[in-house]
Order: sequence, then structure tokens, then C-alpha cells
Amino acid sequence: MSGQQIDHLVKMANQIALNFGEQRDLSRAAQCTAEHLEKFWTRAMREQLSAYADAGGEDLSPAVRLVFAGQSDTQGSQRP
Amino acid sequence: MVQYYEPQRDYGTPAASGGEAVALQIDGIDIEVPAGTSVMRAAALAGVKVPKLCASDSLEAFGSCRVCLVEIAGRRGYPASCTTPVEPGMQVQTQTPALAKLRRGVMELYISDHPLDCLTCPTNGDCELQDTAGEVGLRAVRYGFAGANHLEAEKDQSNPYFTFDPAKCIVCSRCVRACEEVQGTFALTIEGRGFDSRVSVGATDFLGSDCVSCGACVNACPTATLTENSIIEQGIPEHTAITTCAYCGVGCGFRAELRGNTVVRMTPWKDGRANEGHACVKGRFAFGYATHPDRITTPMVRDSIEQPWREVSWDEALQFAARRFREIQERHGRNSIGAISSSRCTNEEVYLVQKLVRAGFGNNNIDTCARVCHSPTGFGLKTTLGESAGTQAFTSVDSADVIMVIGANPTEAHPVFGSRLKRRLREGARLIVIDPREIELVDAPHIRADYHLPVNPGANVAVLNAMAHVIATEALHDAGFIAQRCDRESFASWLEFVSAEHNAPEALAAATGVDPESLRAAARLYASGGNAAIYYGLGVTEHSQGSTAVMAIANLAMLTGNIGREGVGVNPMRGQNNVQGSCDMGSFPHELPGYRHLSDAATRGQFEAAWQVQLDPEPGMRIPNMFDAALDGQFRGLYCQGEDVAQSDPNTQHIEAALSALECLVVQDIFLNETAKFAHVFLPGASFLEKDGTFTNAERRISRVRKVMPPLSGKADWEVTQAFAAALGCDMDYAHPSQIMDEIASLTPTFSGVSYALLDEKGSLQWPCNESAPEGTPTMHRDEFVRGKGYFAITDFVATDERANRRFPLLLTTGRILSQYNVGAQTRRTDNSAWHSEDTLEIHPHDAQERGVSEGDWVGIQSRVGNTVLRATLTTRVKPGVVYTTFHHPVSGANVVTTDNSDWATNCPEYKVTAVQVSRVSAPSAWQARQQQFDRKQRDLLERARTDA
Repeated sequence: MSGQQIDHLVKMANQIALNFGEQRDLSRAAQCTAEHLEKFWTRAMREQLSAYADAGGEDLSPAVRLVFAGQSDTQGSQRP
Repeated sequence: MVQYYEPQRDYGTPAASGGEAVALQIDGIDIEVPAGTSVMRAAALAGVKVPKLCASDSLEAFGSCRVCLVEIAGRRGYPASCTTPVEPGMQVQTQTPALAKLRRGVMELYISDHPLDCLTCPTNGDCELQDTAGEVGLRAVRYGFAGANHLEAEKDQSNPYFTFDPAKCIVCSRCVRACEEVQGTFALTIEGRGFDSRVSVGATDFLGSDCVSCGACVNACPTATLTENSIIEQGIPEHTAITTCAYCGVGCGFRAELRGNTVVRMTPWKDGRANEGHACVKGRFAFGYATHPDRITTPMVRDSIEQPWREVSWDEALQFAARRFREIQERHGRNSIGAISSSRCTNEEVYLVQKLVRAGFGNNNIDTCARVCHSPTGFGLKTTLGESAGTQAFTSVDSADVIMVIGANPTEAHPVFGSRLKRRLREGARLIVIDPREIELVDAPHIRADYHLPVNPGANVAVLNAMAHVIATEALHDAGFIAQRCDRESFASWLEFVSAEHNAPEALAAATGVDPESLRAAARLYASGGNAAIYYGLGVTEHSQGSTAVMAIANLAMLTGNIGREGVGVNPMRGQNNVQGSCDMGSFPHELPGYRHLSDAATRGQFEAAWQVQLDPEPGMRIPNMFDAALDGQFRGLYCQGEDVAQSDPNTQHIEAALSALECLVVQDIFLNETAKFAHVFLPGASFLEKDGTFTNAERRISRVRKVMPPLSGKADWEVTQAFAAALGCDMDYAHPSQIMDEIASLTPTFSGVSYALLDEKGSLQWPCNESAPEGTPTMHRDEFVRGKGYFAITDFVATDERANRRFPLLLTTGRILSQYNVGAQTRRTDNSAWHSEDTLEIHPHDAQERGVSEGDWVGIQSRVGNTVLRATLTTRVKPGVVYTTFHHPVSGANVVTTDNSDWATNCPEYKVTAVQVSRVSAPSAWQARQQQFDRKQRDLLERARTDA
């Protein structure tokens, strides 16, 4: 996987979280982001992003980190 | 069954709507018609033909020709039947000696100034004047041609599609009235008085005038004054077939009129529900591409794009492609191949492509060009209303009191609906336009927008939120509707969000660029002006917040109760002819036909049982995912049907690199398009005239496409896909597209009542069409939303990353022009290029002056990802800080400049916002020079294939 592709995935995931209201409700944004990734992203893309998160995920937004850290306290917070 | 040619029936005056029945007698025949019906129409309905010249049922009665006179018992004189409404008990005589004498006298006067060249006249046998002369028994003209006459009047042959021969004009004004009443352009007038009266296009000729070449005047002309050049050159058609236009999402019904297998004319079908007898310059005239010499009709293969093409048999080409695809999958895994289908293709074709991918490729890597136009509509409307489709029929606009057009330009991109909309505006409906440009509707003949909000590109969501803020905080919302029809919890959260001060028009003014007072006034009008309908287009969807904007539009409609009845609603203006249909047919990688997600085991099970294969429950790749993965080496084989991604998708250089990285690109198209220049296998496609099928337009209307000539390549597209599937070991066994539709109906609840037999009977059907709605559904969400309660999604305004700055100070937005269609593959191969031979850059005079740019100068347009060169057009239609162009010509490279930014939910590209700098230049861009070189090389490789064959 190229650096360009993971940059793109990170950008898209962050964008999704932001549009799900990350700045208003982090937990809910994480839940919605997780559901969105599950519904619309390929397994390979999710796994690439997950691997990036596992490696520190420094450019991931807080809600996306929460998705992959499994720290969301609401339903659907499990890893996509 | 062959339909022999005859003119479409004309009842003389339009139908009266809904009045009480009036009983009368015409020539002794009893008949009942609605009050308001003319005597002429009543007679036609009774089977009695009254001679006429100036009347047509597409126009309001005019009463000028004096041929349609009748006698009415108890009345003096001879009233014109076209302008006389029926009355109870009326006794009408249409044939009496006195009437015959009067009519002959009138006809004699007409013919006294009309050339008697019927045998050599292009409309001989299809001329109302000729017919009427026969009907009234005209046998001689006493006046001769010695006196003053118009027989030497000069023809106007400037329009490439029709000729104006004033020598044959009887000044009935039908053309002038058609231009006004039907098209709404007001390009024609009657100039002069008495003997000097003549039809005029102003000071210029037809081509140089305001005429938009819709053909309404040609349709209306009862003589050979306005005649299609194809008829002049080839003669009157001898048989006809009803079919559906393959251009925009209006989906006009047409009568293909033929001599043998040659289409000599396309006339708008009067019974076509989407267009009701009207057309535009594309559908009416621009069909010549179907037989253009550039058509490729023999399959071709090559091992690399550096090699010449080799013409081969169908079998060899399909085996070549199948072998390559299987080899790729063996080496790189099941998910290393995929397909892109096109909204230009029929429902049956795109259904087969997604079936091939899911059942044959064994993955879900299927996407469609709706990805790059209306995918946010699918997401946004599904989320809020529960169904990924517009809510109304086109006729609904006839009942609208307030029309809001946002990010759409109907008079250019959906012209037949644009004419209907303009007619409603002339009747008095109010208009709000939200667009960075001053589109035609803002200020057109007899139309002026009440409010034009010139939003900054990228700020639609801010404007829509601000409108909702005004409505909510000023208590203009429909509380009853919301309480009854909408989800209480989501509304409460949304209300709190939208009422917050940061959503006020004043707070958002810097972002929107819109005067807060105008915005407040527009919001008040939308909320309280009666039936309010929203029409939107790609200017809404093609943004990084496209899905949010669609949801904000749905919120506005629910907030004000403007949904679920005639005259209101949320109406996405679909770009291509079958955008709605291709989405309906499961062409997105995450869902099966009927918008059902792959993860739904029950639905998946139905398809597995029908197709006898196990389906992958995981979503596949979207188009941009495919290109990213191609560059990463994970995606190596692509079957691209009818879509020109190399020209239409954003960041051209990125697309070209991805296509170049593929091991096997299979392109199915009618021309060697830009994408095909990167292909290894070329499968010749069929135009819409060469195949059977259905298209579904923007109002969910399913209409038949009928084969009127054999496929030039020998195969219709559905047959090619079926043969490709067979080569891959995925057997399909359809003998006719009707069987494919039967399968769609059996597996898709919203289509369960659809069949070719019912379509033939009804003409067209709007889905859902099933047990609950056996004749279809013109208006959706009447009693409840498809999802149950309407959902108010919170619509944060998240500004795009694509910002103007000192280096890129202008915002580029893109759009379309009337005469060209999308990438121009079809229209560039017609005479439509007479109106638009190149794409230009619209720039405000202030911005031009700052850069020393004058009208017609070559200018470089530099964005963060690329640059291109176009000629400049100085205009105040764009505001300072905004520039605009179209993308109809490959060499323009508009998408070399657009970026990878995309809608957060769907990855629909952000075509509408690109930060650029513009400067005067004297040479094409480096990309353009490369593109021209590559184009020459690929044409040469194609020519060598043809020479070797």
C-alpha cells in the first residue's frame, strides 16, 4: 500500500467523522463513522486504515481513533 | 409491428382541464366534453375534422386563419371553432354550402401567395396547407401571380438542422406562438403589418438569433416554411417507432421516423409524459452521431496501448478479455478486477453488468457514473426520506407557487423541463435561484427571479442552513406536518442545531457571500408562499458536502410541509438519461437492485437463489477506490461500459496514470473515446437506436427504448455483456431484454409490477410500480415517508479544504451548455458544434482587467493539481472571484484542473469548487500538448487496425 493511498483513506475517514458532528458529539460521531465505514468501504480499505491506526494513526481525527480503539461507549463502536 | 408514418393526431386546441361535462351535438353526433373545450376540439373528439391552419393542440387558440368557421344553431354568423367554447345544448354544423364557399374563398387567398410547387416541395404529402386545400375543395385560384407576392423571398439556411423558406409562409403565427408558449424563448415575432407581415428572428438570421433550435416552430409549421434539412434531403418518412431520448435525465418520448433503416427525423412524441410533445436541440436534431464514420463496429484487441489495434471476431475479443481477467484474478485475487457501467445504457444493460460482476467476477467492484454526479442524492434522500429518488412528476411544477432552483440550470441542462418551468413562472409562480452564476432563469424574457442568491462556490449548506434558521426562528414551519409525519427526536435535535446563532444568515454571510436580508426574504417566501418545490442539480451534489446539502434540502421540505403532494417536493435533476435507472439497478458497490444493502442476508439470499451463486456480503470498490487501488497495484482489470472516465472524472492526470497501470482495460463504447485510448480490448457498443430496453428518468419514469435499426456491430450491448459473462463461465440465458426486466421485477419490490407488456400499454410507468401501486407512483411519500417518519439530519456546514488563497485566488466552477452533452462524444459528432465549438473560461471583467485579459485571449488556468489553457469570455454572469467553464471537449482539459476532493459520504467529486489562478498565456499547457500527441498516436494505431483489416 502506497503512502498516497493511506493518506487518502485517512483524509476520507477524518472527513466522514467531521461531517458526522465530531466537534459536537465525539462518541456519536465515532459510532456513525464506524457504521459508515462498515456500510460503504471495502474490507481491504478498512483493514488498511485499521493497520494505520494500530501503528499510531497520528493523522487520524479523534473520532476515527475512537472507532479503531474501540473506545466509543455507544452501540456500534466495535471495529468496522 | 410496423407503424406506418402518419402525422401525430392534432385536436386543434389544448384539452380543457377538469371542468363539468358539457353535452352538445356536432353534425348530428352527440358528445360530452369538459367545460372550456373548444368546438374544434369537441368536433375532433367526435371524429369530425374541421379544416384549420392556425390552430394546433400544442398552442392556445388564436383565431386568425378563418378556415375553421362553423355554424351554430341560434347564432348569427360563422364563429371560428377554435376560439368558441362549447355550451350545453349547442348544435354545430361543420359542413354547409355557406361554410364551404367561405373556406374556399379564404384558401384561395392563401394560395394566391403560395408557390404551386407541391410535387417538388419537401413536405409534399405531409403538409397541412395542401391537405386543407384538398379538404375545402379548392380547384382554382383566380388571382394569378402577377401582383405583389412573397414568392421570391430569400431562404434562411443558417441553422444546420432546418431551413426557413418565407416564400411558403402563410403568417399563421404558429411558429411564433410555439416559440413563446411551448419553448418560452420569444426568439420569433411577426414583423410588419398587413401584406408586409412576416416571421422574423430580429435583425439577424436563425443561427445568430436567440433561437435555441428546439424545433417547436418546425413542429408547429403547417407548411414547408420551416422544414428539417433531413426531410429536404431524404424525403418524408415511411414508418415510425416510439422510443426514448438518450440525452439528459428528462427522458423525452420521441417518434423515430424512418425510411428503411435510416432515421430521417426525430419528432417529440405528443403522448410522451415527460415532454408532452416538446424537445430540445439535442434530442430533436443531434442523432447523426449514431451513424457517424467514427463509429467502431468491429471488436479489437491489443496487448499494450503502445501497439496497433487488431480487428478480431466477437468470440476472439471476448475470449481474450475473459482470459486476461481470469489470469489477473488468479495472480492478484478475486477483488483485483471490476466494472464501471454508464447511465447512458439501459436498465437491462446496467443490471446485467452488475450481475456479471457479482455473480461472474465474484466481488462487488461495480460502480456507475452516478458516482460522479448524483450519488449524494442517493445517500441524502435515503437517509432523510427513505428512498433514493425524486419525489414528484415533472407535471407537478404546474401546481407550484414558489420554485426554488439551486445548483441547477434547467434551461441549459434539462431544457424541456426548463420550458415547462418557465411556463409556470410566466403564469405567476415565484422564483428563488441559488447559484454562483446568473443562470438564464434569473432574467429571461417575461421571467425574473424574485431572489437570486449568488452563493459562493462551496457554501450551499451554509445557505440552506441559514434559510432553515430563518424559518425555524420566525416560526414559519409547519408544526402540524412535522408532528404527524416526522421523527420527533431527530427534529428536536435538529431544531436546536439550526436555531443556534451560528446558523443565522448574518453569521454565515462571509461564508455564503449572500446578503442576509435577501436570504431571509427568500426563506420567508419559500416557507409561506404556498406550494413550494425545490429543484436541484449537480451544483448541489458535486461538493465535498454534497450529501449534506441534499439532506438540508430534504429538511427544508419537511420543515415547511412541502412534500407528499402535487406542486411541492424535492426534485433532483438527473444529468444523464438513465442516472436514476442505473442507480435503481444495483450499480453501486454496496447495494443490490432496489437500493438494498448487501449486508441484508434476506435480500442477498433472494439473488443467490435466482442466480445460483453465493454473493460476497462486503461492499466493493467505488470508482475512485478502483483508481487508487490500480495505482497501488491491487486493481488490474476493468470492464468499462459506455463511460468515458478519462475525460469525465476529476484530476485527469491521476485517472490517466491509473488507467495506464491496468493490465487489462476492456472498453465497450460506440467510439474510441478518451478512455478507450488506454484500452486493450474494444467491444463495439450500440447506440440507443439499435437496441431494446428501458430508461428511467429523473421523475422515476420507466420508458421503453425501441430498436429502430439493427446494431451496426451485429450485437446489442446486453448481448455483448451476456457473451462476455459466458466467456467467463457465468451463464446467462436471455433471448430479449424483456426477460431481463422480468427478472428485475421478480427480485425488486419497487419494480414488481413492471413488464414490457404494461409499459407498451401505459406508455411509461413511474416506480414504485407494484401491487400497492399497479399503475405506478407519480408522487411519493403521500401519506407517510418510505422510511416511516421523516428524519431530520443535522447538517453541519463543514467548509471544503479547497480554499482560495493568494496563490490560487479564484474559484473555478463547471457546468454544461445547451447544445453539448457531457463529454461531448455524441454531440461533438453532430452539427451542434455550430453553437459551441470549444469550451471557454467565463471570467468577470474586473478579474480579467486585473490580469490584463481581454475577450478571446488564451488564458492558463492553474490549480493545485494541474493546468490547462482556454479562451477567455468576459461576462458579468459570474461574480468577481468566480470563474466558470464547461467540459465538453477533451482538449479543454477542464478536469486536468479539478481535484481529488470529494463528497464525504459518497466520494462524488467536488467538480464545483477548485481554487485556481488565471493568467494570459500564448501556448497550450504541457498536458494539452501531451494529450494532442497521445490522441494522434492512438488515432494512428486505430487507423492501422482498419488498414490491416
